[in-house]
Amino acid sequence: MRQFLLRRLVRSLVVLWGISTIVFVVMRLSGDPVTLLLPQDATKADVERVTHQLGLDKPLWTQYLIFLANLARLDFGTSIHLRQPAFSIVVERLPATLELAAAAFVFAVAFALPIGVLAARRPNSVFDNLAMLLAAFGQAAPTFFVGIMLILTLSLWADIFPTSGRGRFAHLVLPAITLGAYALASIARLTRSAMLEVIRKDYIRTARAKGLSERLILWRHAFRNTAIPVVTIMGIQLGALLGGAVVTETVFSWPGIGRLAIQSIYNRDYAVVQATVFLTAVWFVLINLAVDVLYGWLDPRIRYS
Amino acid sequence: MKTFARHHLWLVALALLLLPALCAAGAPAGKTELVVGTGGDVQRLDPHIATNVIDITVTFNIFDKLVQRGQDSKLQPALATEWKRLNDNTWQFKLRRGVKFHNGEPFNAETVKFSLGRTLPTGDPKIMTRGTFLAVDRIDVVDEYTINIVTKVPDPLIPDRLAFHGGTIIPKQYFEKVGAEQFNLKPVGTGPLKFVEWVKDDHVTLEANKEWWGGKIAFERVTFRPIPEAAARVSALLKGEADIITRLPPDDVDRLNKSPNVMAVGVPLAGLYVLATNYKRPFPMDNKYFHQALSLAIDRQTIVKNLWRGQGVVPNGVYPKGNWAHDPNLPPLEYSKEKAKALLKQIGYKGEEVIMESTIGFFANERQMSEAVVEMWREVGINAKLEIIEFSVRAQKNRERSFKGIWFSDPIDTLLDPDGMVWRLQGPGTAQDYLRVPEWDKLMDEARISLNHAKRKANYDAAHKIYLEYLPWIPVIQPIESYGVQRFLDWKPRPTQDFMIQDVKLR
Repeated sequence: MRQFLLRRLVRSLVVLWGISTIVFVVMRLSGDPVTLLLPQDATKADVERVTHQLGLDKPLWTQYLIFLANLARLDFGTSIHLRQPAFSIVVERLPATLELAAAAFVFAVAFALPIGVLAARRPNSVFDNLAMLLAAFGQAAPTFFVGIMLILTLSLWADIFPTSGRGRFAHLVLPAITLGAYALASIARLTRSAMLEVIRKDYIRTARAKGLSERLILWRHAFRNTAIPVVTIMGIQLGALLGGAVVTETVFSWPGIGRLAIQSIYNRDYAVVQATVFLTAVWFVLINLAVDVLYGWLDPRIRYS
Repeated sequence: MKTFARHHLWLVALALLLLPALCAAGAPAGKTELVVGTGGDVQRLDPHIATNVIDITVTFNIFDKLVQRGQDSKLQPALATEWKRLNDNTWQFKLRRGVKFHNGEPFNAETVKFSLGRTLPTGDPKIMTRGTFLAVDRIDVVDEYTINIVTKVPDPLIPDRLAFHGGTIIPKQYFEKVGAEQFNLKPVGTGPLKFVEWVKDDHVTLEANKEWWGGKIAFERVTFRPIPEAAARVSALLKGEADIITRLPPDDVDRLNKSPNVMAVGVPLAGLYVLATNYKRPFPMDNKYFHQALSLAIDRQTIVKNLWRGQGVVPNGVYPKGNWAHDPNLPPLEYSKEKAKALLKQIGYKGEEVIMESTIGFFANERQMSEAVVEMWREVGINAKLEIIEFSVRAQKNRERSFKGIWFSDPIDTLLDPDGMVWRLQGPGTAQDYLRVPEWDKLMDEARISLNHAKRKANYDAAHKIYLEYLPWIPVIQPIESYGVQRFLDWKPRPTQDFMIQDVKLR
């Protein structure tokens, strides 16, 4: 197990290095931040002076080496726009996004698993058809559409939730549903198909023959055996929630890293974009690791040695 | 089993519905807090760097200027109580006595000299308002409450220039003590509102400055909330979570006006949405008749009616309504496909490609207008093509003057004078200097340093005729800037997009 973790750790570092490098190059290829920092009528000398101040006149590979050296100390540099350390700017926003992603995940899983299991219980029943229709909608509808529809219905007409912003628990509900909708749909669909597979297995027939209650068969014997694919898709969705947060945060004026990332890309604020992408990548790596560790726990046949 | 499922789903759904979210609609009784929903978060609060429209919504209330504009756009005393011209090149300002910054620091001539000094051309290049006082040679402190502004050439517009962001007054001692970064995060001014907190992308909160020299304002607290998505912004207003929202999409104007609680208010923007052109590109972009053809081919009436739901005015030239040089007797810019085709034939246009570069929403309806205009051009036989670019690419092209042909620009008439718009952006060496017509330069330059109003008017009229012949900007629309407001508020927006808290009253 320890060796497994060590190997994974090394691989994760390589992934993080690769992602950081890609972002470094892409950001620098795509535009110049100095233009956005100065007034329209700034002279060429002004531009050169500021470019020098920011160290952007150094050759690209020198900038890259400096970037790597700082990265090792988790120093992403200073935001040229907000003029604060980039890492702390991102970390400041992280709780909002994590709160939203966690709520969305809990919402998605809490609904997806029962829906998936019950739909598989009676395939092609009214419940199954309805659930899968909704799931198809959840996967197909764009996030901003779902968000705006929720605002119009549950907030404006029904007057249950606030329209936007962060604050009380009520503020969290609509963004969490919006962000969680896609994950809910994919987890529910996968749970259903995995269950359908398992229900046909011999050991389920044996359990039935033993006269176990339907509830016990469904949840203890069938459901547990769908865990591997379901946990996998849950891991993928949990990672994707962070990326999906960009649109949800914009629709609901949620002050998280998604909006920060968008604004920083527009501003060509290299340091903040790099820190955001880095933290997102760390998040993905950690989830992957957690999923792998869970496999061993869920299915004793899987051994990491 | 079936009942179990139904039971559980029902319970969870019920729990969701019963969540306590008591967001009652804003009631005027005892209302002490005003919430303004804006299109985005402020970027900066240092008033000499914070020049975008969202920033000034906040900073213009924290800080004062020496001179300010009233709701009628006329100049009024602010931190200066009176001013006069001592001679052609010297303006004298008497300062208001007894004014203190929010931290208690006294307001005096030294701090004025320091503040305006930041904006002079010799200042830090990152100061966005550095182009405000190009003619100013020096600022002299005469006594504690008197300053002289000495210019290199006569500048009739010094008081006007002082009335926008370049003229903002900041506290010298505080700024020097905390430095630029801290000042940007915790700004201190003399204005009607004091800074309380700024939680990025969430809100900026200000509270009433009880000692403000301008009197009492109607609210104890003012919160600015960024709500980037227009539908969410409108919903927040309808639900009473916001009292005023900015950037109301034209499509929502009618809808709001039908509501019993809220309404739309609008004012023609002090500025124009124009098609800027790169005259330095080869034929046909260097040809004035081609520019005339481009202008003739645009059906502006249709754009105003369909894309803007009537929330706009067809311009009659490059001086927008509200600019004193605007001539109401000129007809709106002409639309004639036949004349456009005839001009194209006359100059021997043979389908050379013309590229329009547009972002998605640098301002309202930009992309939609770009698509419409390109279609209109294609109808008269111009081989026009639309390319979508990104904001920072646009900024870079703007700086390098490397646009491929045509792009949308939104010049703002900061001084309500041709000097503050067309000369500021298209004069020699300025951001959009793509064409020099010596005769136009001469008329404009004379007008801007003349202290004779009649001569200025005559020059600007003559310059305008030349302008319409070349059309380095092809004006498309003077949009009406719309806002959503609760009906219990009495407020009219200003054409220069500056939101001033003293304008907002409870009915």
